[in-house]
Amino acid sequence: MSESDLDIMEPETMKSYIWLQTADGSVQQVEQEVAMFCPMICQEIIHKGAGSSKNHAISLPQRVNSAMFSLILDYCRFHQVPGRSNKERKVYDEKFMRMETKRLCELTSAADSLQLKPLVDLTSSALARIIEGKTPEEIRDIFHLPDDLTEEEKLEPLKNTMDDPRIRLLNRLYAKKRKELKERERLKNVEVEGHVDERSVDDLLSFINGTDPKVAKMSKGKKKYKKKKNQKIISSNDKESHDLHFKQQGVEETGSRMRDLLSLEDEIFTPKAGCEDGDIDDEIDPAMKEMLDREVEDFARRLNSNWAQSLGQERRPVHFSINGNNGTTRRHIGQSSGHN
Amino acid sequence: MNNLPEDCIAKILSLTSPRDVCRSSAVSRCFRSAADSDHVWNHFLPSEFPEDFRAPEGLPTKKHLFFSLVHNPLLLHDSQLSFSLERSTGNKCYMMAARALNITWGHDQRYWQWISLPDARFKEVAALKMVWWLDITGKINISLLSDDTLYAAYLVFKWNLDPYGFRQPVEASLVLAGTEHDDVQPSMVSLMHNPGSEQGQRAELRSDDWYEVQLGQFFKRRGDMGEIEMSLKETKRPFEKKGLIVHGIEIRPVLP
Repeated sequence: MSESDLDIMEPETMKSYIWLQTADGSVQQVEQEVAMFCPMICQEIIHKGAGSSKNHAISLPQRVNSAMFSLILDYCRFHQVPGRSNKERKVYDEKFMRMETKRLCELTSAADSLQLKPLVDLTSSALARIIEGKTPEEIRDIFHLPDDLTEEEKLEPLKNTMDDPRIRLLNRLYAKKRKELKERERLKNVEVEGHVDERSVDDLLSFINGTDPKVAKMSKGKKKYKKKKNQKIISSNDKESHDLHFKQQGVEETGSRMRDLLSLEDEIFTPKAGCEDGDIDDEIDPAMKEMLDREVEDFARRLNSNWAQSLGQERRPVHFSINGNNGTTRRHIGQSSGHN
Repeated sequence: MNNLPEDCIAKILSLTSPRDVCRSSAVSRCFRSAADSDHVWNHFLPSEFPEDFRAPEGLPTKKHLFFSLVHNPLLLHDSQLSFSLERSTGNKCYMMAARALNITWGHDQRYWQWISLPDARFKEVAALKMVWWLDITGKINISLLSDDTLYAAYLVFKWNLDPYGFRQPVEASLVLAGTEHDDVQPSMVSLMHNPGSEQGQRAELRSDDWYEVQLGQFFKRRGDMGEIEMSLKETKRPFEKKGLIVHGIEIRPVLP
């Protein structure tokens, strides 16, 4: 029988030792039961029979230097004793983890190469707690990591928000708004024959409902509709503005305004060919963009509230008085929802 | 940290939160590679999905799947239940459509009407014309939810032009399976702002421009089974209620 076999067969008389060599060359003897706590060392002993003598020392992986190894041995030495309570182990672990970050990283690396899972779990959660809540710069600082991403690459994570359907809707409204702005620019330069209706949604609605008897061009509110649609409304309004039977008109106009809203809504919700989300070029300067942002948001909200409220309108007959002084119920239209 | 293999970094990151992982992808090249790995995002995705869940097609990585489920709720159970994930934890969230709820007199056109709204998640929402006996109840199986999470249930609603009868608080309750009905103590919640007489939960405006009011909270533990019953009632006052539009009941984790 070989010497090593004798060692293994007689644990009571002779404490067995395993020879191990760390990456930086130092060779040491370690109690067998302690060393066997590491799966990787276990494998070496069982499958290759190594570690029995100084000449046949098990070479530890490169990531395990002697400092780390001695830490790991301390850990193994404590935990391989079967009699300890869970509380004892926990207390030991917490104390054990108190070391500076750099050593923690080295320890994780070493434990990982030795396949010592419990220690890897421990160090990993300690490192996770360090990372939690920190900004990228802070993380770079703590772990001395190189800042090797380009500016573009750093901004990529923000793209996750592109999946949000609300943001996609707003992007489309942006594009629409920008088109309208360009149209407006062009109109300013060209002489326009038919008058452009610049009335806001509120004004148009209150006109339809007979609260505002003015027919002429109103104050320049925000222009929400395209020229074509405006002319459609104007012509039908002109025809019937002098009609005393407002009730009938109200329902009809509601119908036509509904159709207008419908088609506008359609354009926004159906994906346009060629209108990609990447189309948001930043030609507009930031101040204008901010203003646009707010307007577009407002617009989207109004569209939604107007839709719901016009549907509500259809169910109840619209009440008008001939002198044009309508009831207070109609005042709600146009304001953002939720203020009933 | 430079010497740590990527899968070690991935393991460490999977012990943080989705937000921390996203931040990590802006730290350095090796961090980004670990932060975008499927190993990490698999950890944040639920370990169990509802039965009729089908992952949307065309999503290249687990990270994409995660964010797709956060931002775009999926419709399950015959399009009456929406399923999504809560962004900071990956916990499961659900919303039951009004059609999936038990609304007393809901089938009667004189009292409730079913309409379609463009800003609703489901095909139909319930619009109250007029009713004396207001009783809305929803049931959901607790096993659909994420373990070890505190959840709250909300009634999602809005008003039509002329609501009436909701100035006073109404009864809300949330009971777990196996509770005797006699033991239930409903809480009073206010659907409408009524300064001075408000007690208990109040309705809040949501980011999707609907309102919500909390019906109750519960903690889901591993292995919990049975149904949760959530309800909103007003059956004691002898006058009519009008003008409520019910979107559904949403169940989502309570964030600290």
